[in-house]
Amino acid sequence: MRQLFLIGAMALGLGIMVHAGADSCSAADEYDYDLVHSSVSFKARHLDISWIHGRFNDVSGKFSLDRENPAKSTFSLTIKTASVDTANKARDAHLRQPDYFDTKQYPTIEFRSTSTKPIKGGYEVTGNFTMHGTTKKITLVLMGGKEHDFKKVKRVAFSTELSVKRSDYGFDKNAIGPIGDAALIMIDCEGVRK
Amino acid sequence: MPDPLLYLKAMGMAAIASAVGGLAIVAARRKGHAAWLCAACVFSLAAGLVVGYRLLALQLPWPPRNGLERFLLLIAPAILCVELLAAISSLPRWSVWSLRVTLALVLPRVLLHGSVYLGATEHAWPARQALLVMTAGGLLLAALWGLLTLLSRRAAGMFVPCTLQASTLCAGLTVMMAGYIKGGVAALVWAAALLATILVVGAVTRNSSRLAEGTWSMLLGVAVVGLFSLVFIGRFFGELSTSKALVILLAPLLGWVAELPWLKCRQPWFVWSVRALLVAGALVAVLVLAKRKFDREMAPLLVNVEQSTVRPVANTDLVL
Repeated sequence: MRQLFLIGAMALGLGIMVHAGADSCSAADEYDYDLVHSSVSFKARHLDISWIHGRFNDVSGKFSLDRENPAKSTFSLTIKTASVDTANKARDAHLRQPDYFDTKQYPTIEFRSTSTKPIKGGYEVTGNFTMHGTTKKITLVLMGGKEHDFKKVKRVAFSTELSVKRSDYGFDKNAIGPIGDAALIMIDCEGVRK
Repeated sequence: MPDPLLYLKAMGMAAIASAVGGLAIVAARRKGHAAWLCAACVFSLAAGLVVGYRLLALQLPWPPRNGLERFLLLIAPAILCVELLAAISSLPRWSVWSLRVTLALVLPRVLLHGSVYLGATEHAWPARQALLVMTAGGLLLAALWGLLTLLSRRAAGMFVPCTLQASTLCAGLTVMMAGYIKGGVAALVWAAALLATILVVGAVTRNSSRLAEGTWSMLLGVAVVGLFSLVFIGRFFGELSTSKALVILLAPLLGWVAELPWLKCRQPWFVWSVRALLVAGALVAVLVLAKRKFDREMAPLLVNVEQSTVRPVANTDLVL
């Protein structure tokens, strides 16, 4: 009977500790990527004289913001490569083929943060960027982070740009042709608090 | 950006390398021996592929990352090994066919490995559908292989390997016109190396039907697996339609039409011509349809590129 009481007390204590731990974790707000008010677009040089613009229509992701301890904030983004849209159906179909995005083999482009550092006006987020089956560590400068309550829903937005060389991610060098090797990706992301 | 001249050069060099490589091995041992000739074929094909793909700067990293790389780095060496083993006359036929059927059944799984079809994505096939597609693919290849082997016993000589080579050429052009340039070019170089090897074997074995039989069977195996793999990759990773893929794959079987009783008893040249015309007709029909689709959908992209490349030169002229 005494042992039973001891075990019960220990379980209660453990429960209180877990609950307290959960409370301390809830300092971070969880946000979902709002596709309606966000966009992932890109541009690449054409013949080195102009730019081709495009976007990915199917993007998802989430981030958690810890205002007290920003290093605990995390960011993730998943882009469906098959949703590439350059306002030209034939070109989009070609971009989905193995010569470019190879969407049947690599259906997503992903970013997963590994560390976050606050900077003036935003965050410096380092993480793993996976495209075309190749993962590289990159650092994004996310500008923004201001909260806004709209119809009792908390929203936070960030924007960033990154330049990637397609040849660094295993794209076929022969297929680069008239389109430049480097592509500029622009991410404007609005998160809705869960 | 497609470069037809480079592709022609790669095909030509692959054919030359295959022919020279094959003849060099054959010349090294003048006394006819089936296994030696089969080894010459393997070397001939390999030499052609290496030269052709090197000229195209085709990257083949290890481990292979996509269907085409898995075909060139895993399937192609596997089929060459199986057919080399098959050339050893002491090996029982049932064991050779067991290896061939196993390869045929495993092939779709290897090519689809890591793809969106088998992954844990929302587009992945349900387990039953995946099993059905892979089994159907494997059985189709095994049936095609078996029927063509039977046909090659009736239509002796290089007819069946030649139809497979023509189908591979057609597959390359069709896949390329559907927008998968790298896959199409890989098939064209494969077809060029195969053609040169067929011609070398035809020249070497013209006086020995015993030597020819084993070598044609070996080339048939390599050619049918190559054709199936390239069409499969074009269908599941490129934009090759199912109907075009099936016509390209099954076209060599049209040679069976000449086995109808009222055709079979005609003059050999007539029977041969009927076979060739039927196969060629099916392949040309596929090419015409593919070209029309290309003109409708892909060509405008290339025309715009060509116009754009001219524009800066014209501006410079004006300024000057």
